[in-house]
Amino acid sequence: MAGPSTTTPPAGGVLESLSNDLAGAVDRAGQSVVAIHARRRIPASGVHWRPGIIVAAHHTIQREEDITISLADGTTVAATLVGRDPTTDLAVLKVDEAKVPVASLADGSAIRVGALVLALGRPGSAVTASLGVISTVGSEWRTWHGGTIDRFVRLDLSIYDGFSGGPLVDVGGRVLGVNTSGLSRGAALVIPVSTVNRVVDQLVKSGRVARGYLGLGMQAVRLPARLVEKQSLPNDVGLMVVSAEPGGPGDTAGILIGDVLIAVADKPVGDPADVLSLLGGDQIGKTLSTRIIRAGEPKNVSITIGERPREPRAARRGR
Amino acid sequence: MIDASIGPLGGELEALATTLRRSVVEVHTRGAGAGSGIIWSAHGVIVTNAHVARSDHATVVLWDGRELDGVVTAHDPRRDLATIAVDPGSVTLAAAAVGHPTDLRTGDVVVALGHPWGITGSIALGIVHAVETRRGAPRWIRADIRLAPGNSGGPLADARGRVVGVNTLIAGGLGVAVPTTTVSRFLEQVEARRARSRPRAA
Repeated sequence: MAGPSTTTPPAGGVLESLSNDLAGAVDRAGQSVVAIHARRRIPASGVHWRPGIIVAAHHTIQREEDITISLADGTTVAATLVGRDPTTDLAVLKVDEAKVPVASLADGSAIRVGALVLALGRPGSAVTASLGVISTVGSEWRTWHGGTIDRFVRLDLSIYDGFSGGPLVDVGGRVLGVNTSGLSRGAALVIPVSTVNRVVDQLVKSGRVARGYLGLGMQAVRLPARLVEKQSLPNDVGLMVVSAEPGGPGDTAGILIGDVLIAVADKPVGDPADVLSLLGGDQIGKTLSTRIIRAGEPKNVSITIGERPREPRAARRGR
Repeated sequence: MIDASIGPLGGELEALATTLRRSVVEVHTRGAGAGSGIIWSAHGVIVTNAHVARSDHATVVLWDGRELDGVVTAHDPRRDLATIAVDPGSVTLAAAAVGHPTDLRTGDVVVALGHPWGITGSIALGIVHAVETRRGAPRWIRADIRLAPGNSGGPLADARGRVVGVNTLIAGGLGVAVPTTTVSRFLEQVEARRARSRPRAA
C-alpha cells in the first residue's frame, strides 16, 4: 500500500541530472575499484591501475602472503605483493587475471579547489561512495616518513572504514588520485595520479622505492645567543642529534649524540625536513658535507649517504 | 559538467525542501525528546520510528506549527517502525510522495528532512553510500549524509523529493534508513491484522 501521494514531483530537474551523473560516475569508476583482503578486520580498497597492477594503501596490507582481491565482476583472485613504499603509504599488488577495466586517469589539471568529487571504496562486495569537494590544493609536500607527494590536496569529504586505497574521482568518473587516511592521523588526503605513477614505476621496476638515509634522529633546538655571536652563525637554530643508528652513515662518519647540525651542503638547517629534502633516492652513495657544533666549537663532517633500510612490517594506523 | 547550473540547482533544492517540509511532522511523546515523522496519507496516517513513538499517545506538530493529538496505532520494534493516527479535522494534510528504493544506485543524491537537535525543518544533502539488500530486496539504505538524533522517523528522499526511506539510525558516521518498501509491507500487515480483528456480520 503506497501512500496516496497527492502530487509526484516532476522529473528532469537539475538535481535529478546531478544524481544521474554521480551514480553514473560511481558505476563507471567502480568497475576498477577492488576489495583487498590482506588484514584481519574489514577488507581495504584498491584500484586496478594498469593491466594486472593493483594500487593499494600500504598501511592496509598487514600480511604479505595469502592476499586475495575481489573484483567488480564478483570474482576473487589471488594477488602477490610487488612492493610497498611506506613513505607515500602506497603498495602495489599483481594479479594474473583481472577481467575488469583499468581506471581512467585524469591529468593534474582536474585537481581544483571546489571541484565536486567522490571517494569510492569496496570494503566488501559492493562499491560504496561519499561525496565532497576539494577544499585545499597546495604545492609539493613531504610526509613525516620522508616521501614526496606532488601536491597537497585536502578534502571536505568523509573517509569511511575500508576506504583507504580507493580512488578519488571527478563527476566524469576519472581518477584524480588514491585516498588514504594513513598519512595524516585519520584526515582524508589524496595521493595525486602523478605521484602514484612515479611510485608504481619504481615498485614495478625494483620492488622498492630507494631513499637516502643518514641514520640520525634530529630535533630543532635554539642556539645560545652567545654561541651565535661568538661563531658568527647565520642562524640561531640548529638540529640536535638525539639518536644515531649504530653502524649507520652518520655513526660511521663520527657524528655523536648531542652534536648540533647548523648547515648541510652549505645551507643552514633549522628543520629536519631541510635534511630530508637532500636525501632523494638518487643521492645514495654521494657525500654530504655537514657543519656541526660540538662542545661549543664548529666542526666539518662528511657523511656518505646510505640507503634507508626497509621497514620490517606495516605500521598499523589509519583506516 | 554541472558548473553552469549551480543557480538552478540551489533553487530546485529550496523548492524540494519547501514541498517536502509540508509532509514532515515533529513527534513528541511523553518523557522522550522530539523525533520526526512522515505524513503517509492525507487521512491522518503518520509513519515514524518505533523508538520515536514510545508511548500510546503522541503530539504531532505540523510544518506551520499547528498541533494535532495522535494515537500510536502500530508499533514494530524489530523493523523500528510505528504508525500514529491523527484526526486532521479541517486541516489539509500533505501526504509525502513515495519513491522506489529498488531503483536507488550508489552515488544517487538524497535529501534528509527532520528536526536534528530540535532544530525544526532542517535539510541535509548527501548521496547513497550503499543499498544493503537481503534476498534481492533493499534492507537498509546507507547514506553519506550528516544526520543527528532528531532526524529519526523523518524522510530520506531522492533527487525528486520522493521519500525512499525512514531515517532510523547513525552508524559509523553514515545515515541508515529503513526503505519505504519495508514501510509498505509493514502497513499492509497492520491493515491485514485490523481486517481480521474486525467484527463480521454472521
